[in-house]
Amino acid sequence: KNISDFSLNVTDCTQVVVPEEVFFTVAAAGILENLLVLIAVVRNKNLHLPMYFFICSLAISDMLGSLYKTLENIFIILCKMGYLTRRGDFEKKLDDAMDSMFILSLLGSIFSLLAIAADRYITIFYALRYHNIMTLRRALAILAIIWTFCAGSSIAIALFSYEAATVIPFTILFPLMMFFILCLYIHMFLLARSHAKKIASLPTSTVHQRTNMKGAITLTIFLGVFLCCWAPFVLHILLARFCPHNPYCACYMSIFHVNGTLIMCNAIIDPMIFAFRSPELRCTFKKMFCCSR
Amino acid sequence: MSALRLISNRTSQQALSNSDYTWEYEYYEYGPVSFEGLKAHKYSIVIGFWVGLAVFVIFMFFVLTLLTKTGAPHQDNAEPSEKRCRMNSFVADFGRPLDSERVFSRQIAEESRSLFHFCINEVEHLDKAKQNHRSPGLESNIHFEEVPRSSGMFEEDLNCLTKFNIPNCVNTEQNSSLGEDDLLISEPPIILETKSVMQSSCRILD
Repeated sequence: KNISDFSLNVTDCTQVVVPEEVFFTVAAAGILENLLVLIAVVRNKNLHLPMYFFICSLAISDMLGSLYKTLENIFIILCKMGYLTRRGDFEKKLDDAMDSMFILSLLGSIFSLLAIAADRYITIFYALRYHNIMTLRRALAILAIIWTFCAGSSIAIALFSYEAATVIPFTILFPLMMFFILCLYIHMFLLARSHAKKIASLPTSTVHQRTNMKGAITLTIFLGVFLCCWAPFVLHILLARFCPHNPYCACYMSIFHVNGTLIMCNAIIDPMIFAFRSPELRCTFKKMFCCSR
Repeated sequence: MSALRLISNRTSQQALSNSDYTWEYEYYEYGPVSFEGLKAHKYSIVIGFWVGLAVFVIFMFFVLTLLTKTGAPHQDNAEPSEKRCRMNSFVADFGRPLDSERVFSRQIAEESRSLFHFCINEVEHLDKAKQNHRSPGLESNIHFEEVPRSSGMFEEDLNCLTKFNIPNCVNTEQNSSLGEDDLLISEPPIILETKSVMQSSCRILD
C-alpha cells in the first residue's frame, strides 16, 4: 500500500485529517478561556497592572489564532454548502484577511511572551525602581507599539507571502525571540542561585539547600509548549516556500492540520501557565462564577 | 494560508469530505510530486523534527536544572540548641577579623535590619489586601531569608516575611514547597518610600 503509483497525480502522503468536531471544540475552548482571562482582568481593579496587561495581550493573540481557525472552518463549510464561490474576489480578500489574522496571532504571541519575560526581568533586577520604569502608561504604550508593528508585519507578510524575503525574516524572528526570552530567564535563574548560595554560605544560616526543580520545570513548560505548538507551523511555511516538490517536504506538509490543531492547543495551555498562576486572578474567577450562580 | 492550501489540494485525493483545499489561485501552481526512489523513510522530516524538538526541550530542562541547583546538602536535622550555638558563635565572630564572609554577613545583617523594617511597614499596609490570597502559594515571589540575629525581634520579622507576599524582598524560602516557582512573579511589586531602604535593597539585588 505504500508503493508509489506510476501516475504522477497520486502521492503516498495523503493529508492527515483532523475531524471538524475536534477543531471546533479545541478552538471554542481556547476562545472561551482567553475571553475569561480578559474579562477577569477588566473587572478587577487590582489587576490593572502592567504585568496583567501583558498577560491580556497574550490572551488576545491566542484568541485571534483560535478565531482564525474557527472562521476558516466556517467558510469551508459555507463553501461546501454552496453559499460562497471558490474563485470570487471577495473570498480571496477574505482569505488574505484571515491569513494576516493568523500571522498577527503568531507575532502577537511572540512579542507578548517577550514583554512578559522583560517585565519579570525588570521586577527582579530593578525591583525598587520598577514602578518608575514600568508605569501603566508606558506598558500601554509598549503594547500599542507591539500590536501596531505586528499588524503591519502581518499584512505585509500576508500580501507578499510568496516572496522569500518575507518568509525568511519571519522564520528567523521566531527562534531569535525564543532565544532572547530564554536568556532573560536564565539570567534571572543565575541571580536567584547566586543569592541562595550567598545566604547558604553564612554560618548561622538555617537555609536548606536543594535543587529547585520547580522553576526549571515551569520555564521548560513555558518555552517547550510554545516551541512545540508553533515550530511545526513555521517549519511548514519554510518547506512550502523552498521545497514544495520534494517528496519528503510534501510528506511533512501533509500533516498541516495537526499543526493547526497544535496552535489552537497552545491557546488553551497558555492561560493555564500564565494567567491562572496568579492567586488574585483565580480569586476573581471564583467571584465571577460564584456571583453568576 | 492560501498557498499552503493549494499544495494540499494537489497532494490530496480526498477532495470532498474535508475540503480545506477549496481555494485555488492561478498564479501559484505546483506540479505533482513523485515518490519514486526515496532513500529514507518518507516521513523522515516529520520524525526528525519532532525528535529534535524533544531532545532540545529535554536538554533545555537539564540546563535549567543545573542552573537552579544551589549546591550545598540538606541541613534537615539541625537541633534548636545547635542553632542557638551557631548564632552565638556568629555574634562572637563579629569581634574577630575574618574573611569576606564576615564582612558580607555583617552587611547582610545591616541590610536585613533595614529590609525588615521596610517589610514590616509594607506588611501593615498590605495586611488587608493580602488576606484573600495569603496561601502557601507564595509561588510568585523571590524572597531572601535573611540571617536572624539573636534577638527575638528578628525572628518575628522573619515570620512576617514568610507569611506575606513581598516581592521586593528577595527571599529564598527553603522550607516552603514553592521551590523556584518564586521567579515567576505574578504579584505586583510594592511602592517603596524610604531612600535608605532603596539603597540597601539595591545593594542586595545588584
